[in-house]
Amino acid sequence: MDARQKEQYLREYSALKAKGKPFFPYAVGKDSLMACIVLIVIIFMSLILGAELGPKADPTTTSYVPRPEWYFFFLFELLRVIKPPELVFVATLGIPNIAIALLVLLPFYDRGPERRPERRPIAMTAMALTIVAMTYLTLLGAFAGSPTEIDMEVPEQYVYGKEIAANSGCLGCHKFGENGNDGPGPNLTTIGARLPKQAIERTLDNPTAPMPSFRDLPPEQKEALVNFLAYLR
Amino acid sequence: MPKMPKPSNPLHKKVSDLPKPPMPPLPPSLRPNPKPKERSEVTVGEAAAAGGTSVVAWIDERTSGSGFLRGFLFRKVPKGVNWWYTLGSATMFAFIAQAFTGVFLAMYYDPNPTVAYESMRHINNEVFLGEFVHGMHKWGATVMTVLLFVHMARTFVFGAYKYPRELNWVVGVLLLMMTMMMGFTGYLLPFDQRSFWATIVGVNLNGTGPMIGPYLADFLRGGAEFGSTTLPRFYAIHMMLVPGLIAALIGIHLYLVAKLGTTAPPWVKAEIPGQDEKRV
Amino acid sequence: MTPEKETKTPKSKFTADRGWPGAFEGETVTRRHFMTGVALGAGGIASAMFALPALGFALGPIFEKTEHRSLLDVGAVEDFPADTYTPQVVTTVAGIGEVGKILLYIRKNDNPTPEQSWPFVAISNRCAHLGCPVRYIEAAKSFICPCHGGTYGFEGEVTGGPPVRPLDRFETYVENGRVFVGERFSVNSQLERVPTRDPGAHVDGFWQVLYPPRPTT
Repeated sequence: MDARQKEQYLREYSALKAKGKPFFPYAVGKDSLMACIVLIVIIFMSLILGAELGPKADPTTTSYVPRPEWYFFFLFELLRVIKPPELVFVATLGIPNIAIALLVLLPFYDRGPERRPERRPIAMTAMALTIVAMTYLTLLGAFAGSPTEIDMEVPEQYVYGKEIAANSGCLGCHKFGENGNDGPGPNLTTIGARLPKQAIERTLDNPTAPMPSFRDLPPEQKEALVNFLAYLR
Repeated sequence: MPKMPKPSNPLHKKVSDLPKPPMPPLPPSLRPNPKPKERSEVTVGEAAAAGGTSVVAWIDERTSGSGFLRGFLFRKVPKGVNWWYTLGSATMFAFIAQAFTGVFLAMYYDPNPTVAYESMRHINNEVFLGEFVHGMHKWGATVMTVLLFVHMARTFVFGAYKYPRELNWVVGVLLLMMTMMMGFTGYLLPFDQRSFWATIVGVNLNGTGPMIGPYLADFLRGGAEFGSTTLPRFYAIHMMLVPGLIAALIGIHLYLVAKLGTTAPPWVKAEIPGQDEKRV
Repeated sequence: MTPEKETKTPKSKFTADRGWPGAFEGETVTRRHFMTGVALGAGGIASAMFALPALGFALGPIFEKTEHRSLLDVGAVEDFPADTYTPQVVTTVAGIGEVGKILLYIRKNDNPTPEQSWPFVAISNRCAHLGCPVRYIEAAKSFICPCHGGTYGFEGEVTGGPPVRPLDRFETYVENGRVFVGERFSVNSQLERVPTRDPGAHVDGFWQVLYPPRPTT
């Protein structure tokens, strides 16, 4: 914006303002009604959702699955999807700090005089992309399950095998439907369609590193596990 | 930007040369007293009203507050201001509600790691309206965060961060950071599993920064390990340091809003003073 | 640059020569300048006098050397076989209740090497990514983190996910048939001992330069 455009804006604004209404009571009235709505929402949330405490803090837990509040889900998911150890600080501090810097500096790099959203395609696209990306990460984060639980519906005879799979750490490296980590191992959601039963059993006994061998699993557990995996297709 | 008007246009004057809008009228309580009535008897209502007027006048004589209040309260907001403009004040109201409920939670809360969880249990289960006030504080945080983001989105869409309000946008982003900080430090206080692990991860997030990161984590924890000073540290930051900064920043934010004026929606344009503005 | 600048006469240090109003003969600083300096200087000093001690007070713990605590008895030698990890809770920080405890996964060290000569292997449950509580999965002989998908092998070495280094370990000692646990230490990808670091700090290759050990650890 050059000096002429600034002057033009101030002039127009001054004219618009001269035609406006007093802040009190017109704007304040709206503000107060909005404040009532906000407080009603807070009170209803408090009454309906409550403020129940979880179990007491325990650093020695072996079963608790830490999850943040919903408004940090996007950051939580960002930490999950950025896998290379060299990039950890990019996910933890780099991306959030760059985002904050871009926000703070916004009026200094976007200095065009245009204010109407439909004539600012770049700004509006950037905003839409940000909202889509954050919503997507938030949803992924919200549905990220425990590494010892598989939410799939399976017939009665495979439930035991499913529990073995869930409690054997498979989810640390493999995905089963919505559960588990995407990598380093392949997605096992449809493994039964890709590998015959014998091949699954052989892989469990003699896997490629870094997958551990499940040779020492008790036979009936291993049979249930193999049956469950072969069923997935 | 529309084309500049020709120099002959009456619009092409300096803003400072434009006629200033007249000062709003004095509120009734500050107007000079009318002549005393002929009647000797004064009713109770009239006496009370006269008393109220004289108190207001007494204060105004010693503070000159009415000028400021008239400028602040009766300043004009441009035509076209709509419900989207209530989000900022709604966020501030949510903050005031947080401050208020927070003060009363602090009356029962004990930031000692051995009893913090039990004091929260006590608030929830035994204190009258305890869980309700705790719930208002907890969900108020969510509501405030959401309002803040929607307010920011409104500012962005309306281009309200542009000249001359750049500084107010920067102050707003600082307020956003402070609010996230409140969310983060308040998280730990109930001291249940969720808060504990979220804090561990949050502190270690800071610790991953090259060179200074680990020192930052040490500062937050008050040492190399989660220890007896960690919880009081978060408590002090949550209830004194950051709210103080937020209150100060809100003051600056509001001052700038009053000084620079509320933006008009970008669709509304004024062509020439005296003529109706039209939608372009 | 320009010759004019070079020939310009230097400004006199006397206020009278510079034509300032209210100047006195022989005066180099006007009263107003002097009082401006006093106001800013004294105000700054007064603020620093409360700000610096408070800041030092808050920042002090960063530079304190962590005190060595005494060895912790974790159990009898025969409680910890070599082929699997046995979880054991110990209290590392006294006086803060539950949160002063940590969980260790302990097994007998059946293959001592020059780097790992401790009689027992005691692995911390603190994930080397961001500190979540890892759990040992017997069937897979690995450690799995429930937060961001880190997985570790039987020795605590990284097998997948974002962790930057193997799981931390603790010194172990044996006395009168009891196992004692000493200080925490970090290990690099070769499982060699390095000074303790926080989760997320690299200890290998170029990256370790960015995460030097610090006074508290």
